[in-house]
Amino acid sequence: MNLPRFEFLSPTTIKETLLLMSGYKEKLRVLAGGTEITGRLKHRLVTPTYILSLKRVHGLTGITQKKSEVVIGATTTLSEIADSQLIASLFTSVSEASRRVAAPAIRNVATVAGNLLQESRCLYYNQSELPRNGLGPCYKVGGETCHAVKGSKRCFSVYQGDLAPALIAVGAQARVQKTGSFRTVPVEDLFTDKGTNPIGLARNELLTEIMLPIRKGRSASAYQKFTLRGSIEYPLASAAVFLQEEKGGMIEEVRIVLGAAGPSPKLPEDAAKAILGKRPQDVKTTDVQQAVSLAAKAMEAVDNLMLPSSYRRRLAAVMTKRALEEALRSLREVGHAS
Amino acid sequence: MQARRKPAPQKQATRATKRISKQPAKRTAKQALKKAITIEKKRVTLHINKEDYELFIYPHRTLGEVLRDELHLTGTKQSCNEGACGTCTVLLDGAPVRSCLLLAVDVEGKEITTIEGLADNGKLHPIQEAFVEHYAIQCGFCTPGMILTAKALLDKNPHPTEEEIRNAISGNICRCTGYSKIVEAIKAASERGR
Repeated sequence: MNLPRFEFLSPTTIKETLLLMSGYKEKLRVLAGGTEITGRLKHRLVTPTYILSLKRVHGLTGITQKKSEVVIGATTTLSEIADSQLIASLFTSVSEASRRVAAPAIRNVATVAGNLLQESRCLYYNQSELPRNGLGPCYKVGGETCHAVKGSKRCFSVYQGDLAPALIAVGAQARVQKTGSFRTVPVEDLFTDKGTNPIGLARNELLTEIMLPIRKGRSASAYQKFTLRGSIEYPLASAAVFLQEEKGGMIEEVRIVLGAAGPSPKLPEDAAKAILGKRPQDVKTTDVQQAVSLAAKAMEAVDNLMLPSSYRRRLAAVMTKRALEEALRSLREVGHAS
Repeated sequence: MQARRKPAPQKQATRATKRISKQPAKRTAKQALKKAITIEKKRVTLHINKEDYELFIYPHRTLGEVLRDELHLTGTKQSCNEGACGTCTVLLDGAPVRSCLLLAVDVEGKEITTIEGLADNGKLHPIQEAFVEHYAIQCGFCTPGMILTAKALLDKNPHPTEEEIRNAISGNICRCTGYSKIVEAIKAASERGR
């Protein structure tokens, strides 16, 4: 498969990039690492007039520790994050998630922003032009039907990014810039929960930084992902968990995030009532089970990925349980704080 | 293909972006419409296997296509063409990458190593020798990618464990399923102190 033709832009400053983005809007797509968009270009799922590469833009890469946060530049590669001792010691879930993306050769190029802002996927949508056109246009390509759920009124494509659940769990913030202004939003607010357009960024907005807050006191996080193969796979179900202890040793905050659970990562509120206010040592298996079954209800699965939806729903519960247990285990370990 | 000796400073790419950056956004969108009709070839200088190649290529050509079709460096294979199989692996500044997912115009200034760049004056690289000695080649299609991935691993970590080797080649598919021999060969190459 060849790439479609496009004009190539390679600015060197953020200012220039934003100017080009606001000038070309819908005609332009941004290429950070290029591992995701290249495949979609080859499948003609997107045919922009302009491709803007961020490879030469200064000031978008690197991991820096500040007073109360760790800042990851948008075009920092996943290998850099996976190899970072700083990330591994403070944010286990983010480190693990970046280590589980695709394969080493892809992680050497793929960036954190690219992984975060990837399109949602569906077996009927992510295929080459000929079979896709044979089926007729679905909601995702501007049509009026859904092949996965016949007669449905919306798109059920699945967001399968690895980093988003891990980042949302640890409470990461994203800095989004456009010409003349910027805004800082929690990572979960980057997603619209709409299958047709899962990313809530305007065409003139550029994600420039991700800020991970360093929490005081003891905390722990974990990420679990299910794939059929060991590598080069999107998750069929994934879960990230973050636990925070207060001074007295009680768990005061629990964040459970499900990935591959619908058009955006799901952050079920109140799922962890059974765990809140308890010491990690006192959390029983039944408490974990209760939290898991409440959280897994947020999973929205239809038959549009490699495995049947009924099986993926059960997988979501298993992944949540494993992640929760892993996080509890590391809180129980004396002196461990991540 | 047009290969010349020394590149002139790159003018075209900067001219396009500079002109747009000076003008207000409204006018650039109009220019976009006009320019879309005539997409021009770009002049790039690729640094491959310690040699400079100056090329005129369309921006939509991938590095893998340019290596094979323009420069006839056909040691780099193309198979799935969407980043899943690893046969098109080349080294970019020493790290393995998929050449089917990279735009050739986007890797200017980087050091590219293909399988052709490993042998030294006809003498095989120790990893290549180890692959031959340990029968780590069946049909041979995944071999260039495997050897380059192994080289990147051993450059970074001269004495990897079996798990580290398996993890490093986890993105390279051998459809003959000869993984055991490949792991053995990489291990042998590492034990030999490369």
